[in-house]
Amino acid sequence: MFKTTNRHHLALTAAAILLCPAVSLGQTAPTSDAAASHTGPLSGYMDFHFNKDEAQDGVVDFHRFVLLFNHSFSSRIRFVGELEIEHAFVEGLEESGEVELEQAYIDFLITRGFNLRAGMVLVPLGIINERHEPPVYNGVERPFVDTVIIPTTWFDAGAGLHGELRHGFRYRAYVMAPLNSLEFTAAEGIRHGPQKGSRANVRNVAFTGRLEYLGVRGLVLGAGGWRGKSTFALPRLDTTVSVGEVDARYRRKRLELRGQFARVGISDAANLNDAVGRLTGVSPNVAEGLQGFYGEAAYRIRDQGSPRDLVGFVRYENFDTQHRMPAGFLPLKEFDRDAWVFGVTYYPDPDVAVKVDYVRQRNQSPILKAPNSFNIGLGWWF
Amino acid sequence: MRLRLLAATMAGVGIVGAGVLARQQPAPRVIHITAERFSFTPSEIAVRAGEEVELRIESEDTAHGFHLVDTEVSAVVPKRGKGEVSVRFKPEGPGRYVFECNRMCGAGHDFMRGVLIVTEPVDAESR
Repeated sequence: MFKTTNRHHLALTAAAILLCPAVSLGQTAPTSDAAASHTGPLSGYMDFHFNKDEAQDGVVDFHRFVLLFNHSFSSRIRFVGELEIEHAFVEGLEESGEVELEQAYIDFLITRGFNLRAGMVLVPLGIINERHEPPVYNGVERPFVDTVIIPTTWFDAGAGLHGELRHGFRYRAYVMAPLNSLEFTAAEGIRHGPQKGSRANVRNVAFTGRLEYLGVRGLVLGAGGWRGKSTFALPRLDTTVSVGEVDARYRRKRLELRGQFARVGISDAANLNDAVGRLTGVSPNVAEGLQGFYGEAAYRIRDQGSPRDLVGFVRYENFDTQHRMPAGFLPLKEFDRDAWVFGVTYYPDPDVAVKVDYVRQRNQSPILKAPNSFNIGLGWWF
Repeated sequence: MRLRLLAATMAGVGIVGAGVLARQQPAPRVIHITAERFSFTPSEIAVRAGEEVELRIESEDTAHGFHLVDTEVSAVVPKRGKGEVSVRFKPEGPGRYVFECNRMCGAGHDFMRGVLIVTEPVDAESR
């Protein structure tokens, strides 16, 4: 039973707070394991993959081992941290793996519409960057667009506001450390540009924000942007990066649809290529425009609750990191790609996902062929 | 014959009794809420003061929490397919009460909030 409390002018007389009795309300009562399932100050997710690219040996990779920490100083001041080990093994100066502090922020929850956040924060762009726990997306690997156009997981040091407005709208707006344009590449665009809050240069800052609409059950519409001058290492350049995206998710009964469109603009890319070419001896052939989109349809083939819960999906992606080149530079057509991803996700538990998919990838190069791949994944949240 | 009479009498008493109970305890207004990473839908709920309300909250993914901020009202929303949780209450006076997920559910956990708006009772408005 819940007793009346008058703290903070609350005058709720609760008749009862209870798990619904199945008989009187004709509902399914929560099972004991569900009711007993709690997270404490420690939670996290893991991602374990088998990847077999065409004409290559298969690879087994413990891709992500992520621990989330949370602590409430009070009901209005909270800390969240996310520490990740990628590819299981980390060795100095090697590319075998990495340890990343993906999130470490404090929230000052002031009102529903106005809250402050500061620390290491996630850039609020796209479907996946802020919502990347393995059971919530289909496919063993994240979508290509959410890898080479929006470089998930994209995080950096920053501070800003977030809140929920009326009629189902909510927003995030942050000031963040800018990208380092010397790390941009032809194949993966801005993916290696984030400074990741590690002694990040903030002579210029970047601004990012997102507006979401969640006013209709099952529907989420989002639009986000990012803009920042990214040439602190070579101050004579004027490289400003702009990212814009729109996305949508819709779920009705057994069907779930997703779509996302993202575009990246890099100003002064020609001078950036020349400058990096002089420094390293190789021009990175960075484009001044990158673009990608995808659409996904998923259907819950078995919908009887875990362990009889199976989703089939198909996703089409089109992504080009050489979409628009600066004058004097030719696009590398092997980076104008598209992919069909077919697969299933089986849920033995709502927090455990067993994934199998096949990726049929193509590019526009007459010489270099994009490899198709077969993948198996096991991901879980706790 | 006596047995039938007794059964009929008892049935009659039962029906009348049920009717009295029904008048004394009207069924609460039921509001269905869906919880998923990282939102409640609807996240804005308007009720009248004095109105008995039952929130039935169901998850579309992992287990979530339902907590009325600055109160002891707290419940675990079971994982998808594991049932739903019901929270009943009768607000006495108008006000705005924030509710939130208080069970860590992922990177955007702190965004998962909503508001319960309690307006004047019908009687007060008609006066």
